[in-house]
Amino acid sequence: MLDLFVVKWIFAFSPILTVLVLMIFKNWSGSRAGAAGWFVSLIAATFVFGAHPVLIAYSQAKGALLSLNVLYIIWAALLLYNVVNETGAIQAIGIGIQRFSGDKSIQILIFGWIFSSFLQGVAGYGVPIAVVAPLLVGLGFSPVVAVAVPAIGHSWSVTFGSMGASFQALMAVSGLDAAYLAPWSATLLGITTFLCGICAVHVYGGWKMTRHSLIAILVIGTAMAGTQYILAVSGMWTLGGFGASLVGLCSGLAVAKLKIYNQVPPSQTKSEMGLGWALSAYFILIVVVSSGVMIPPVKAFLGQARLTLAFPEIITLNGWITQAGKGKAINIFGHGGALLLYATLIGYFVYRSKGFYHSHALKTILLKTIKSGVPTSLGIVSMVCFAMIMDHCGMIVILAEGVSRVFGSFYPLVSPWIGLLGAFMTGSNTNSNVVFGVLQQETAQLAGLGAGLILAAQTTGGALGSMIAPAKILVGCSTVGLSGKEGPVLKATLQYGLIITGIVGILTMLFSFIR
Amino acid sequence: MDSFLKRHSTKLKSTALILMLVIPFLLYAAALHGSILQVKLLMAILIVTMLFVMKNG
Repeated sequence: MLDLFVVKWIFAFSPILTVLVLMIFKNWSGSRAGAAGWFVSLIAATFVFGAHPVLIAYSQAKGALLSLNVLYIIWAALLLYNVVNETGAIQAIGIGIQRFSGDKSIQILIFGWIFSSFLQGVAGYGVPIAVVAPLLVGLGFSPVVAVAVPAIGHSWSVTFGSMGASFQALMAVSGLDAAYLAPWSATLLGITTFLCGICAVHVYGGWKMTRHSLIAILVIGTAMAGTQYILAVSGMWTLGGFGASLVGLCSGLAVAKLKIYNQVPPSQTKSEMGLGWALSAYFILIVVVSSGVMIPPVKAFLGQARLTLAFPEIITLNGWITQAGKGKAINIFGHGGALLLYATLIGYFVYRSKGFYHSHALKTILLKTIKSGVPTSLGIVSMVCFAMIMDHCGMIVILAEGVSRVFGSFYPLVSPWIGLLGAFMTGSNTNSNVVFGVLQQETAQLAGLGAGLILAAQTTGGALGSMIAPAKILVGCSTVGLSGKEGPVLKATLQYGLIITGIVGILTMLFSFIR
Repeated sequence: MDSFLKRHSTKLKSTALILMLVIPFLLYAAALHGSILQVKLLMAILIVTMLFVMKNG
């Protein structure tokens, strides 16, 4: 009986193992590995777990609904980023920050910790490392440090960054709402805010510089972690990473004026665009999202059109039952992605009216958005769809039962490592949540643990995985002339990633006793 | 063949993405109406699309 369970567990694990092996050892992209995982799950589901064509059909429809929920935000976030970047505003924001302090530790914190998190808040998908690394090289940091610092520094903001795409994915696959998931997620990610700040400074200046930066880390970290928590638990989780880093920017610029951080004169470089205009699209975003989330009549008006499908009860040939119910609903005009689109359109017309675009800007914006959006989307859809096949055949429950049997009550120690593994292999917190979210939820329930805490550990591990994901390190290295020499960067980020994840595991274990 | 795939890479990937998002809904409609033949046909198209993504994604 036990042997049969082990065999089934191995088959259930085979799609995930396929993705892992192909991405880590064969260097496949997320989209290619995701498609391979889809094939393996289809074969295992059909020949071992009793799947039939109708079951696969329904599971793929559910997968497409879930994917659309996540892609809505991803595409809108990418469009907003390109609308802003095409004006030269991102560079202007960087130059504007640089004028505040000549202190190296403050520059590391402002660029590598806060500004990279701000970029994660508005774009994500490797943009923070790709934009900040060249800026740090320009300030005189070595290329390895220039890539490692933003890779470590922005990780805490990944879950609630990109307009909350990763958090949206966690909610979508678990079927749990933001009110249940946000408090623990914001708590664990809030703690990692400080740890990421400490490690970002340590990777450059060791313990001496870390001690020098401690006041700044405490002040800015408290501002960012606190803001993220408030936004996440008050229903504005789409603005969690963005709002926190914006408050972080303000507090960082204020801290930079302290005497201990003002011994070296700041840069006098000026950009063509003022900081106010550069940030204007993001101010518009705050107004639009706040109105769409916090003003009940606006929220009700936008929430009138919802796309969803009703699914019948589905039974495998082996007798596994998936209950009848509605798929994930898409709030067409009130979705986070829709709010982002409104802000993007207004931002575009504002910039255009001020003459910040060249004649073919719109075409460039659309082409850049498609070029970066399509590969990411292929990876997400294929992974979501194979996760749905696994879910409808009971494969995830078998995986969860196996993990629960092995680790039992010590499972909280392991949960962030699973999230980290998922992000490492897929290069994405969102994909990690999609692939492992249900597994973590089922395991938590079997072990009698709170799903909210375990899923928070999952997404925190997934966020931390961003600093060690080869896909992201590759992007950063390519922008500072380190292509083909990613090893030293990965070595630097790996040790910090493992230490912070270990701390999160211990904290999750402790919180599981007191929840 | 390889040069064709390289030349039209972005368009083909975009088409694959659209197929991956549209076919599931057609599968849903076919399954709901109990048309197993249509389900199998659409599954075959989805499998070919996934094969393309696995090779060129």
